[in-house]
Amino acid sequence: MDTIDNIPAAETGTKPLGAARVGIGGPVGSGKTALIEQLLVHLAKRSISTAVITNDLVTAEDAERLRKGGAIDPARVLAVEAGACPHTVIREDPTLNIIAADQLDRLYRDLELTIIESGGDNLASTFSLDLVDWWIFVIDVAGGDDIPRKRGPGVLQCDLLVVNKVDLAPHVGVDLGRMLEEARSVRDGRPVVATNCRSGENVAAVADAIAEAVLVAR
Amino acid sequence: MNEDNAATILTALQHADSNFPSGSFAFSQGLEGLASLTGKRPGTDEITNFVREQIVHRWASSDRVALAHAYRAGDDLDRVAEIDEELDLSTFCETLREGSRRNGQALLATHVRFGTPGAASYRQRIDRDTATGTLPVVHALLWRRLGLAEEACVAMSGYGLVSSSLTAAVRLNFVGALTAQSMMPPLLSLVATYAGEPVAEDAEICGFNPFGEIAAMNQAGLALRLFSN
Repeated sequence: MDTIDNIPAAETGTKPLGAARVGIGGPVGSGKTALIEQLLVHLAKRSISTAVITNDLVTAEDAERLRKGGAIDPARVLAVEAGACPHTVIREDPTLNIIAADQLDRLYRDLELTIIESGGDNLASTFSLDLVDWWIFVIDVAGGDDIPRKRGPGVLQCDLLVVNKVDLAPHVGVDLGRMLEEARSVRDGRPVVATNCRSGENVAAVADAIAEAVLVAR
Repeated sequence: MNEDNAATILTALQHADSNFPSGSFAFSQGLEGLASLTGKRPGTDEITNFVREQIVHRWASSDRVALAHAYRAGDDLDRVAEIDEELDLSTFCETLREGSRRNGQALLATHVRFGTPGAASYRQRIDRDTATGTLPVVHALLWRRLGLAEEACVAMSGYGLVSSSLTAAVRLNFVGALTAQSMMPPLLSLVATYAGEPVAEDAEICGFNPFGEIAAMNQAGLALRLFSN
Protein backbone atom coordinates (compact mmCIF):
# COMPACT_ATOMS: atom_id res chain seq x y z
CA MET A 1 0.00 0.00 0.00
CA ASP A 2 1.30 3.44 -0.93
CA THR A 3 0.93 5.64 2.11
CA ILE A 4 2.04 9.09 3.11
CA ASP A 5 4.80 7.55 5.23
CA ASN A 6 6.63 5.92 2.35
CA ILE A 7 6.33 8.49 -0.38
CA PRO A 8 9.46 9.88 -1.95
CA ALA A 9 10.59 13.32 -0.90
CA ALA A 10 8.18 15.94 -2.16
CA GLU A 11 9.16 18.12 -5.05
CA THR A 12 9.79 21.61 -3.87
CA GLY A 13 11.04 24.85 -5.34
CA THR A 14 9.32 27.41 -7.48
CA LYS A 15 9.66 25.74 -10.87
CA PRO A 16 10.46 22.18 -11.88
CA LEU A 17 13.03 21.65 -14.60
CA GLY A 18 11.42 20.85 -17.93
CA ALA A 19 11.19 22.75 -21.19
CA ALA A 20 12.01 26.44 -20.93
CA ARG A 21 8.81 28.51 -20.60
CA VAL A 22 8.53 31.82 -22.42
CA GLY A 23 5.52 34.14 -22.06
CA ILE A 24 4.26 36.40 -24.83
CA GLY A 25 1.77 39.05 -23.72
CA GLY A 26 0.42 42.34 -24.97
CA PRO A 27 -2.69 44.25 -25.97
CA VAL A 28 -5.45 42.85 -28.20
CA GLY A 29 -4.42 42.97 -31.86
CA SER A 30 -0.77 43.81 -31.25
CA GLY A 31 0.36 40.71 -33.14
CA LYS A 32 1.14 38.11 -30.49
CA THR A 33 -0.23 35.20 -32.51
CA ALA A 34 1.39 36.48 -35.71
CA LEU A 35 4.72 36.68 -33.88
CA ILE A 36 4.34 33.10 -32.67
CA GLU A 37 3.46 31.92 -36.18
CA GLN A 38 6.67 33.45 -37.47
CA LEU A 39 8.72 32.29 -34.50
CA LEU A 40 7.62 28.70 -35.01
CA VAL A 41 9.17 28.74 -38.48
CA HIS A 42 12.48 30.04 -37.14
CA LEU A 43 12.48 27.61 -34.22
CA ALA A 44 11.74 24.69 -36.53
CA LYS A 45 14.68 25.69 -38.76
CA ARG A 46 16.87 25.57 -35.66
CA SER A 47 15.43 22.15 -34.72
CA ILE A 48 14.15 23.45 -31.38
CA SER A 49 11.38 21.21 -30.09
CA THR A 50 8.54 23.61 -29.28
CA ALA A 51 4.97 23.61 -27.94
CA VAL A 52 2.47 26.44 -27.47
CA ILE A 53 -0.22 27.21 -24.89
CA THR A 54 -2.77 29.88 -25.73
CA ASN A 55 -4.99 31.78 -23.29
CA ASP A 56 -7.76 33.09 -25.48
CA LEU A 57 -10.22 35.28 -23.64
CA VAL A 58 -13.11 33.65 -25.50
CA THR A 59 -13.10 30.51 -27.64
CA ALA A 60 -9.89 28.86 -28.82
CA GLU A 61 -9.38 30.96 -31.93
CA ASP A 62 -5.67 31.62 -31.45
CA ALA A 63 -5.00 27.95 -30.74
CA GLU A 64 -6.92 26.90 -33.85
CA ARG A 65 -5.05 29.45 -35.97
CA LEU A 66 -1.71 28.03 -34.85
CA ARG A 67 -2.87 24.44 -35.31
CA LYS A 68 -3.98 25.17 -38.85
CA GLY A 69 -0.89 27.20 -39.69
CA GLY A 70 1.20 24.14 -40.43
CA ALA A 71 4.28 25.34 -38.56
CA ILE A 72 3.73 23.02 -35.58
CA ASP A 73 2.19 19.64 -34.83
CA PRO A 74 -1.40 20.58 -33.88
CA ALA A 75 -1.21 18.26 -30.87
CA ARG A 76 1.52 20.50 -29.47
CA VAL A 77 -0.88 23.44 -29.15
CA LEU A 78 -3.05 23.57 -26.02
CA ALA A 79 -5.73 26.14 -25.22
CA VAL A 80 -6.28 27.17 -21.60
CA GLU A 81 -9.37 29.17 -20.72
CA ALA A 82 -8.73 32.53 -19.10
CA GLY A 83 -11.88 32.57 -16.93
CA ALA A 84 -12.82 36.04 -18.17
CA CYS A 85 -9.56 37.49 -16.92
CA PRO A 86 -6.34 37.31 -18.94
CA HIS A 87 -4.38 38.83 -16.04
CA THR A 88 -5.32 36.14 -13.57
CA VAL A 89 -4.39 33.12 -15.65
CA ILE A 90 -0.81 34.31 -16.22
CA ARG A 91 -0.15 36.13 -12.96
CA GLU A 92 -2.40 35.84 -9.90
CA ASP A 93 -3.32 32.20 -10.50
CA PRO A 94 -1.15 30.57 -13.17
CA THR A 95 -1.91 27.01 -12.02
CA LEU A 96 -3.97 26.02 -15.08
CA ASN A 97 -1.11 27.10 -17.34
CA ILE A 98 1.37 25.30 -15.09
CA ILE A 99 -0.48 21.99 -15.36
CA ALA A 100 -0.82 22.46 -19.13
CA ALA A 101 2.93 23.08 -19.45
CA ASP A 102 3.66 20.12 -17.14
CA GLN A 103 1.41 18.00 -19.34
CA LEU A 104 3.40 19.01 -22.43
CA ASP A 105 6.65 18.15 -20.62
CA ARG A 106 5.30 14.68 -19.89
CA LEU A 107 3.92 14.12 -23.38
CA TYR A 108 7.00 15.28 -25.30
CA ARG A 109 10.20 14.16 -23.66
CA ASP A 110 12.28 16.09 -26.22
CA LEU A 111 10.48 19.36 -25.55
CA GLU A 112 12.87 22.31 -25.20
CA LEU A 113 10.60 25.34 -25.33
CA THR A 114 6.99 26.05 -24.36
CA ILE A 115 5.58 29.36 -25.50
CA ILE A 116 2.67 30.66 -23.42
CA GLU A 117 0.57 33.26 -25.20
CA SER A 118 -1.53 35.56 -23.05
CA GLY A 119 -5.00 36.62 -24.04
CA GLY A 120 -5.19 40.16 -25.33
CA ASP A 121 -4.82 42.49 -22.40
CA ASN A 122 -3.72 45.99 -21.47
CA LEU A 123 -0.45 47.66 -20.57
CA ALA A 124 -0.65 46.49 -16.94
CA SER A 125 -0.34 42.85 -17.97
CA THR A 126 2.67 40.96 -16.62
CA PHE A 127 3.67 37.29 -16.36
CA SER A 128 4.30 35.53 -13.06
CA LEU A 129 7.81 34.16 -12.80
CA ASP A 130 6.21 31.13 -11.15
CA LEU A 131 4.95 30.35 -14.65
CA VAL A 132 7.62 31.50 -17.10
CA ASP A 133 11.38 31.85 -17.20
CA TRP A 134 11.38 34.87 -19.45
CA TRP A 135 8.73 36.93 -21.21
CA ILE A 136 8.06 39.19 -24.15
CA PHE A 137 5.57 42.05 -24.37
CA VAL A 138 4.24 42.98 -27.80
CA ILE A 139 2.92 46.43 -28.70
CA ASP A 140 2.31 47.85 -32.14
CA VAL A 141 2.77 51.21 -33.78
CA ALA A 142 -0.91 51.45 -34.70
CA GLY A 143 -1.75 51.48 -31.01
CA GLY A 144 -0.11 54.88 -30.77
CA ASP A 145 3.44 56.13 -30.38
CA ASP A 146 2.67 57.25 -26.84
CA ILE A 147 2.49 53.69 -25.50
CA PRO A 148 6.14 53.55 -24.31
CA ARG A 149 5.71 56.94 -22.62
CA LYS A 150 2.75 55.57 -20.64
CA ARG A 151 5.23 53.26 -18.90
CA GLY A 152 2.83 50.38 -18.32
CA PRO A 153 4.20 47.49 -16.24
CA GLY A 154 4.15 45.24 -19.31
CA VAL A 155 6.35 47.62 -21.28
CA LEU A 156 8.70 48.28 -18.37
CA GLN A 157 9.11 44.84 -16.83
CA CYS A 158 9.23 42.44 -19.77
CA ASP A 159 12.55 40.87 -20.73
CA LEU A 160 12.08 41.84 -24.37
CA LEU A 161 9.78 44.50 -25.78
CA VAL A 162 8.61 43.89 -29.35
CA VAL A 163 7.26 46.87 -31.29
CA ASN A 164 5.29 45.29 -34.12
CA LYS A 165 3.67 46.46 -37.37
CA VAL A 166 6.49 48.87 -38.12
CA ASP A 167 5.34 48.97 -41.76
CA LEU A 168 2.25 50.86 -40.63
CA ALA A 169 4.16 53.72 -39.01
CA PRO A 170 3.93 56.16 -41.95
CA HIS A 171 0.24 55.39 -42.38
CA VAL A 172 -0.73 56.12 -38.78
CA GLY A 173 1.43 59.19 -38.27
CA VAL A 174 3.97 57.53 -36.01
CA ASP A 175 7.59 58.61 -35.84
CA LEU A 176 9.04 55.11 -35.47
CA GLY A 177 12.53 56.29 -34.58
CA ARG A 178 11.25 58.40 -31.74
CA MET A 179 8.91 55.63 -30.51
CA LEU A 180 11.78 53.15 -30.35
CA GLU A 181 14.05 55.67 -28.69
CA GLU A 182 11.44 56.36 -26.01
CA ALA A 183 10.86 52.63 -25.54
CA ARG A 184 14.58 52.07 -24.91
CA SER A 185 14.70 55.07 -22.64
CA VAL A 186 11.84 53.97 -20.33
CA ARG A 187 13.34 50.47 -20.23
CA ASP A 188 16.76 51.70 -19.19
CA GLY A 189 18.34 50.28 -22.30
CA ARG A 190 16.95 46.77 -21.98
CA PRO A 191 16.21 45.16 -25.34
CA VAL A 192 13.60 46.39 -27.79
CA VAL A 193 13.05 44.79 -31.18
CA ALA A 194 11.04 46.35 -34.01
CA THR A 195 9.21 43.80 -36.15
CA ASN A 196 6.78 43.33 -38.97
CA CYS A 197 5.30 39.95 -38.23
CA ARG A 198 3.36 39.85 -41.49
CA SER A 199 6.54 39.91 -43.55
CA GLY A 200 8.74 38.29 -40.92
CA GLU A 201 11.02 41.31 -40.65
CA ASN A 202 13.31 41.02 -37.60
CA VAL A 203 11.56 37.96 -36.16
CA ALA A 204 14.91 36.17 -36.34
CA ALA A 205 16.18 38.66 -33.76
CA VAL A 206 13.37 37.64 -31.42
CA ALA A 207 14.22 33.97 -31.93
CA ASP A 208 17.87 34.81 -31.20
CA ALA A 209 16.89 36.56 -27.99
CA ILE A 210 14.82 33.57 -26.82
CA ALA A 211 17.61 31.14 -27.62
CA GLU A 212 20.17 33.30 -25.87
CA ALA A 213 18.02 33.88 -22.80
CA VAL A 214 16.55 30.49 -22.04
CA LEU A 215 18.03 27.81 -24.28
CA VAL A 216 21.79 28.39 -24.28
CA ALA A 217 22.08 27.88 -20.56
CA ARG A 218 20.32 24.50 -20.70
CA MET B 1 -9.12 32.36 21.60
CA ASN B 2 -5.86 30.57 22.16
CA GLU B 3 -2.97 30.72 19.74
CA ASP B 4 -3.56 27.23 18.31
CA ASN B 5 -7.17 28.00 17.47
CA ALA B 6 -6.18 31.29 15.89
CA ALA B 7 -3.51 29.54 13.85
CA THR B 8 -6.04 26.96 12.63
CA ILE B 9 -8.50 29.64 11.59
CA LEU B 10 -5.78 31.54 9.77
CA THR B 11 -4.69 28.38 7.94
CA ALA B 12 -8.28 27.78 6.87
CA LEU B 13 -8.61 31.38 5.70
CA GLN B 14 -5.43 31.13 3.63
CA HIS B 15 -6.45 27.95 1.88
CA ALA B 16 -10.11 28.87 1.32
CA ASP B 17 -9.17 32.32 0.02
CA SER B 18 -10.11 32.90 -3.62
CA ASN B 19 -6.62 34.41 -4.02
CA PHE B 20 -5.04 31.03 -3.30
CA PRO B 21 -3.73 29.70 -6.65
CA SER B 22 -6.05 26.79 -7.36
CA GLY B 23 -7.42 27.44 -10.84
CA SER B 24 -10.94 27.85 -9.46
CA PHE B 25 -11.42 31.26 -11.08
CA ALA B 26 -11.78 29.63 -14.52
CA PHE B 27 -14.79 27.45 -13.66
CA SER B 28 -18.40 28.68 -13.57
CA GLN B 29 -19.97 25.25 -12.84
CA GLY B 30 -22.44 25.80 -15.66
CA LEU B 31 -23.44 29.32 -14.68
CA GLU B 32 -22.14 30.69 -17.97
CA GLY B 33 -24.59 28.45 -19.81
CA LEU B 34 -27.56 29.65 -17.78
CA ALA B 35 -28.29 32.77 -19.83
CA SER B 36 -28.57 30.95 -23.12
CA LEU B 37 -30.56 28.17 -21.47
CA THR B 38 -33.21 30.48 -20.06
CA GLY B 39 -33.04 33.05 -22.84
CA LYS B 40 -32.28 35.97 -20.54
CA ARG B 41 -29.52 37.32 -18.37
CA PRO B 42 -29.94 35.72 -14.94
CA GLY B 43 -30.59 38.00 -12.00
CA THR B 44 -30.09 37.52 -8.29
CA ASP B 45 -32.98 35.08 -7.84
CA GLU B 46 -31.96 32.86 -10.74
CA ILE B 47 -28.32 32.81 -9.66
CA THR B 48 -29.21 32.15 -6.02
CA ASN B 49 -31.46 29.28 -7.05
CA PHE B 50 -28.79 27.92 -9.37
CA VAL B 51 -26.12 27.92 -6.66
CA ARG B 52 -28.59 26.60 -4.09
CA GLU B 53 -29.31 23.62 -6.33
CA GLN B 54 -25.60 23.05 -6.75
CA ILE B 55 -25.20 23.01 -2.99
CA VAL B 56 -28.16 20.75 -2.21
CA HIS B 57 -28.16 18.34 -5.12
CA ARG B 58 -24.48 18.12 -6.01
CA TRP B 59 -22.15 19.40 -3.34
CA ALA B 60 -23.93 18.13 -0.20
CA SER B 61 -24.74 14.66 -1.49
CA SER B 62 -21.70 14.13 -3.68
CA ASP B 63 -18.65 16.36 -3.19
CA ARG B 64 -19.12 16.66 0.57
CA VAL B 65 -19.53 12.90 0.95
CA ALA B 66 -16.46 12.16 -1.17
CA LEU B 67 -14.43 14.71 0.76
CA ALA B 68 -15.42 13.23 4.12
CA HIS B 69 -14.65 9.66 3.04
CA ALA B 70 -11.31 10.70 1.53
CA TYR B 71 -10.46 12.60 4.70
CA ARG B 72 -11.18 9.55 6.84
CA ALA B 73 -9.11 7.36 4.52
CA GLY B 74 -6.12 9.26 5.86
CA ASP B 75 -2.80 7.94 4.63
CA ASP B 76 -4.34 5.03 2.73
CA LEU B 77 -3.88 6.49 -0.74
CA ASP B 78 -5.31 3.39 -2.41
CA ARG B 79 -8.60 4.06 -0.65
CA VAL B 80 -8.37 7.79 -1.43
CA ALA B 81 -7.92 6.92 -5.10
CA GLU B 82 -10.95 4.61 -5.01
CA ILE B 83 -13.12 7.42 -3.65
CA ASP B 84 -11.63 9.74 -6.25
CA GLU B 85 -12.61 7.39 -9.06
CA GLU B 86 -16.07 6.85 -7.61
CA LEU B 87 -16.74 10.59 -7.53
CA ASP B 88 -15.44 10.98 -11.05
CA LEU B 89 -17.57 8.15 -12.40
CA SER B 90 -20.67 9.41 -10.63
CA THR B 91 -20.47 12.83 -12.30
CA PHE B 92 -22.58 12.50 -15.41
CA CYS B 93 -21.82 15.80 -17.15
CA GLU B 94 -18.47 15.67 -18.95
CA THR B 95 -17.50 19.31 -18.50
CA LEU B 96 -18.27 19.22 -14.78
CA ARG B 97 -16.31 15.97 -14.48
CA GLU B 98 -13.32 17.37 -16.37
CA GLY B 99 -13.62 20.66 -14.51
CA SER B 100 -13.35 18.93 -11.16
CA ARG B 101 -10.29 17.00 -12.34
CA ARG B 102 -8.54 20.04 -13.78
CA ASN B 103 -9.34 22.16 -10.75
CA GLY B 104 -8.10 19.43 -8.43
CA GLN B 105 -4.91 18.97 -10.40
CA ALA B 106 -4.28 22.73 -10.52
CA LEU B 107 -4.57 22.92 -6.74
CA LEU B 108 -2.32 19.89 -6.45
CA ALA B 109 0.30 21.61 -8.68
CA THR B 110 0.53 24.47 -6.20
CA HIS B 111 0.97 22.08 -3.27
CA VAL B 112 3.56 20.02 -5.12
CA ARG B 113 5.64 23.17 -5.37
CA PHE B 114 5.01 23.92 -1.69
CA GLY B 115 6.11 20.40 -0.78
CA THR B 116 2.87 19.64 1.07
CA PRO B 117 3.09 16.00 2.23
CA GLY B 118 1.19 13.67 -0.07
CA ALA B 119 0.92 16.12 -2.97
CA ALA B 120 3.80 14.79 -5.09
CA SER B 121 2.87 11.18 -4.39
CA TYR B 122 -0.73 11.74 -5.44
CA ARG B 123 0.28 13.59 -8.56
CA GLN B 124 2.42 10.62 -9.52
CA ARG B 125 -0.67 8.46 -9.26
CA ILE B 126 -2.55 10.84 -11.54
CA ASP B 127 0.35 10.76 -14.01
CA ARG B 128 0.17 6.96 -13.97
CA ASP B 129 -3.62 7.05 -14.41
CA THR B 130 -4.18 5.35 -11.07
CA ALA B 131 -6.00 8.38 -9.62
CA THR B 132 -8.20 11.07 -11.14
CA GLY B 133 -7.62 14.10 -8.92
CA THR B 134 -11.15 15.40 -8.43
CA LEU B 135 -11.28 18.64 -6.47
CA PRO B 136 -13.08 17.45 -3.30
CA VAL B 137 -10.74 14.48 -2.90
CA VAL B 138 -7.68 16.66 -3.44
CA HIS B 139 -9.11 19.07 -0.86
CA ALA B 140 -9.39 16.24 1.66
CA LEU B 141 -5.94 14.91 0.88
CA LEU B 142 -4.17 18.26 1.24
CA TRP B 143 -6.17 20.07 3.88
CA ARG B 144 -6.03 17.11 6.26
CA ARG B 145 -2.26 17.27 6.04
CA LEU B 146 -2.34 20.96 6.90
CA GLY B 147 -3.90 20.00 10.23
CA LEU B 148 -7.44 21.07 9.46
CA ALA B 149 -10.39 19.13 10.92
CA GLU B 150 -12.85 17.29 8.66
CA GLU B 151 -15.64 19.73 9.53
CA ALA B 152 -13.46 22.68 8.58
CA CYS B 153 -12.51 21.04 5.27
CA VAL B 154 -16.18 20.46 4.44
CA ALA B 155 -17.04 24.07 5.26
CA MET B 156 -14.11 25.35 3.18
CA SER B 157 -15.18 23.21 0.23
CA GLY B 158 -18.74 24.58 0.40
CA TYR B 159 -17.43 28.11 0.75
CA GLY B 160 -15.30 27.58 -2.36
CA LEU B 161 -18.32 26.53 -4.39
CA VAL B 162 -20.35 29.57 -3.33
CA SER B 163 -17.46 31.99 -3.66
CA SER B 164 -16.30 30.81 -7.09
CA SER B 165 -19.86 30.68 -8.44
CA LEU B 166 -20.59 34.24 -7.38
CA THR B 167 -17.22 35.43 -8.65
CA ALA B 168 -18.13 33.91 -12.01
CA ALA B 169 -21.47 35.73 -11.86
CA VAL B 170 -19.63 39.02 -11.36
CA ARG B 171 -17.16 38.34 -14.16
CA LEU B 172 -20.02 37.44 -16.48
CA ASN B 173 -21.58 40.76 -15.42
CA PHE B 174 -24.77 39.05 -14.31
CA VAL B 175 -24.58 40.89 -10.98
CA GLY B 176 -22.33 43.52 -9.42
CA ALA B 177 -19.63 42.74 -6.89
CA LEU B 178 -21.56 44.26 -3.98
CA THR B 179 -24.73 42.45 -4.93
CA ALA B 180 -22.81 39.19 -5.12
CA GLN B 181 -21.56 39.66 -1.58
CA SER B 182 -25.10 40.38 -0.40
CA MET B 183 -26.18 37.07 -1.95
CA MET B 184 -23.61 35.09 0.02
CA PRO B 185 -25.00 34.85 3.58
CA PRO B 186 -28.07 32.68 2.84
CA LEU B 187 -26.02 30.42 0.60
CA LEU B 188 -23.30 30.08 3.22
CA SER B 189 -25.98 29.41 5.80
CA LEU B 190 -27.11 26.49 3.68
CA VAL B 191 -23.52 25.25 3.45
CA ALA B 192 -23.26 25.54 7.23
CA THR B 193 -26.37 23.42 7.68
CA TYR B 194 -24.85 20.59 5.69
CA ALA B 195 -21.39 21.08 7.18
CA GLY B 196 -22.98 20.56 10.61
CA GLU B 197 -24.39 17.17 9.57
CA PRO B 198 -21.76 14.44 9.88
CA VAL B 199 -21.41 12.27 6.79
CA ALA B 200 -22.44 8.70 7.64
CA GLU B 201 -19.79 6.01 7.22
CA ASP B 202 -21.97 4.21 4.69
CA ALA B 203 -23.10 7.35 2.82
CA GLU B 204 -22.98 6.94 -0.94
CA ILE B 205 -21.85 9.54 -3.45
CA CYS B 206 -25.06 10.42 -5.27
CA GLY B 207 -25.22 13.87 -6.84
CA PHE B 208 -28.15 14.63 -9.14
CA ASN B 209 -28.64 18.16 -10.41
CA PRO B 210 -30.08 17.90 -13.92
CA PHE B 211 -30.72 21.62 -14.43
CA GLY B 212 -27.16 22.53 -13.50
CA GLU B 213 -25.77 19.74 -15.65
CA ILE B 214 -27.86 20.80 -18.64
CA ALA B 215 -26.61 24.37 -18.14
CA ALA B 216 -23.02 23.09 -18.05
CA MET B 217 -23.56 21.01 -21.19
CA ASN B 218 -25.14 24.03 -22.84
CA GLN B 219 -22.11 26.13 -21.89
CA ALA B 220 -19.80 23.61 -23.53
CA GLY B 221 -21.58 24.21 -26.84
CA LEU B 222 -21.40 28.00 -26.78
CA ALA B 223 -19.40 29.56 -29.60
CA LEU B 224 -18.04 32.20 -27.24
CA ARG B 225 -17.01 31.03 -23.81
CA LEU B 226 -15.13 32.74 -21.02
CA PHE B 227 -15.04 29.85 -18.57
CA SER B 228 -13.86 26.26 -18.65
CA ASN B 229 -17.31 24.96 -17.72
